[in-house]
Amino acid sequence: MKGYFGEFGGRYVPETLLPALQELEDEFSAAWEDRGFRDEFAGCLRDYVGRPSPLTHARRLSEHLGIEVWLKREDLNHTGSHKINNAIGQILLARRMGKERIIAETGAGQHGVATATACALFGLSCAVYMGARDIERQHMNVERMRLLGAEVVAVPTGTATLKDATSEAIRDWVTNVDTTYYLLGSAVGPHPYPTLVREFQRIIGEEARGQILEKTGTLPRAVIACVGGGSNAIGIFSGFMNDPVELIGVEAYGDANGRHGASIHFGSPGVLHGALSYLLQDRDGQVLDTHSVAAGLDYPGVGPEHSFLSATRRARYELVDDRHALDAFRLLNRLEGIAPALESAHAIGFLGQYAPDHEGATVLVNLSGRGDKDLHTVLQEGL
Amino acid sequence: MIAEAIRTSKKAVIPYVTAGLPDLDATGEIIRALGDAGAAAIEIGIPFSDPMADGPVLQKASHLALKAGFTLNGLLSRLGKWSSSVSAPLIVMSYINPLMRGGMRETLVRLRDTGIQGVIIPDLSCDASGIHEMCRDIGMDLIRLVAPTTTEERRREVVSQCSGFVYAVTIKGVTGARSSLPPEVRRQVQDIRSLADLPVCAGFGVSTAGQVEDMLSFADGVIVGSHLMARVMESPDPVAAAGETFRALLKKESSCIEA
Repeated sequence: MKGYFGEFGGRYVPETLLPALQELEDEFSAAWEDRGFRDEFAGCLRDYVGRPSPLTHARRLSEHLGIEVWLKREDLNHTGSHKINNAIGQILLARRMGKERIIAETGAGQHGVATATACALFGLSCAVYMGARDIERQHMNVERMRLLGAEVVAVPTGTATLKDATSEAIRDWVTNVDTTYYLLGSAVGPHPYPTLVREFQRIIGEEARGQILEKTGTLPRAVIACVGGGSNAIGIFSGFMNDPVELIGVEAYGDANGRHGASIHFGSPGVLHGALSYLLQDRDGQVLDTHSVAAGLDYPGVGPEHSFLSATRRARYELVDDRHALDAFRLLNRLEGIAPALESAHAIGFLGQYAPDHEGATVLVNLSGRGDKDLHTVLQEGL
Repeated sequence: MIAEAIRTSKKAVIPYVTAGLPDLDATGEIIRALGDAGAAAIEIGIPFSDPMADGPVLQKASHLALKAGFTLNGLLSRLGKWSSSVSAPLIVMSYINPLMRGGMRETLVRLRDTGIQGVIIPDLSCDASGIHEMCRDIGMDLIRLVAPTTTEERRREVVSQCSGFVYAVTIKGVTGARSSLPPEVRRQVQDIRSLADLPVCAGFGVSTAGQVEDMLSFADGVIVGSHLMARVMESPDPVAAAGETFRALLKKESSCIEA
């Protein structure tokens, strides 16, 4: 069925938003077929974002682990993460649709910064919804967004994290649907967002596939990425979907108290923010509180395509907890001179589980963002 | 019969009550008070952790009800008693996830067995034909919402898969009192009415007796939620507050001033 990945996905939203989602779907389809739009997008990614992002052989980490690790360096993009790919793509779409006001939600602040940046670039007004708790722990990104001219709106309700910021952005959109474009940052939400975000992030996988073939002459054994909503993972996976390559998503296993963000592992099908997907919920269907040291993985849902890839076993989803992510953060600093975002550090952290049984294997890891924003958190945990 | 109850009511005002606030026993008494005060039908809201179509008042109501320990089983164990205590038909309003959790059909059957006559789902899938048929089989009204942005084609589809009444959303936005309501509502209600032999009730934003009076000049009924729940939450006697607030909405000269 249209708008679904198997049983997952769909469009479960207030009636008021349906025409806007249909318009978005139609406009995206037309734009994606339009050579001019594709050229403009490619031009922005090349000349403004700095693509293609490099593929780095992590020599010392490879030696340390006994596998060959290649890093797709999305951390080197302008604004420091993969989020800018989607933000630029959707801004071009919003311009095409004649929208002048942009709203977005953000967890770690990376999508908020990317959106605020794209709005500054094109002179559009921008409001970013952010959980009050995330504002506290990602202060630097809040200041960056303000410098870029965006209004950062604190969301104190619920758990005051990404899920509540997303609900509040949807409420804004329902209210201002005529004038406003909702620039959703992950591969979640009602159709067409999961597809649209994947298409704008597909560049990660397409580049990485070409680069690793060129550098090693073969495809990697596995492609590994962290999964919160799952946009960086779906972006890199989509380059390898039809290859004999293991696709591994890494979910946040959280803290020692059993609080986590591992929707695919521990969730069950449910509807949150307009799509049916695996969801962390109690027996009454109330959405559960989540926790991860990485704000971008602190979300009780997951993109519907990941639920589909898990259900059909095309991809598998593994767990890395806060402690191992923090260890990976330190390790990558020491061995490679790279500070990964704590989100991406979950993907690095998984290598410790993977390496012992896969000696000599070549793996590709999506280093989705850089970790400057997380220094504060890491320092609190102790270097 | 929901449609009949609305049509035969002299002034069809439908109150919305979040279940479990301050607790489920109080909700039962509030429902009785609203029935006594002349409610045409009563909407019982199942609290949800992430109510994306609701404004601050109903978000807070949901949050407080969950914090106070609301459970679906607790509600189901009381609904039978409530529905036999009032003559007004009872309707459940819920986001889709709590209804789906224990199986959509199973949950709807359990609700029907307690005397619930209709269900409203603000985030129903855009393709709702399956649930429409399910409700028809079970013998329960599926009340659908039509928004100011709804296209004519979509309006036809929605109304053809709707029973009980059509819920005309008056504004672009979330639930919550508004000092003024857009004049297009009249036209919107007339457009809907031309499509089906169902009552059309207007809701979202209504908070004064004057607004109720205006709406009832062209709509078959009016739904009032946030205004009522705001009073219920701020009053030391929520049951009395619910009854008084509702009665005030029925009077033409009202002392209810929009805060």
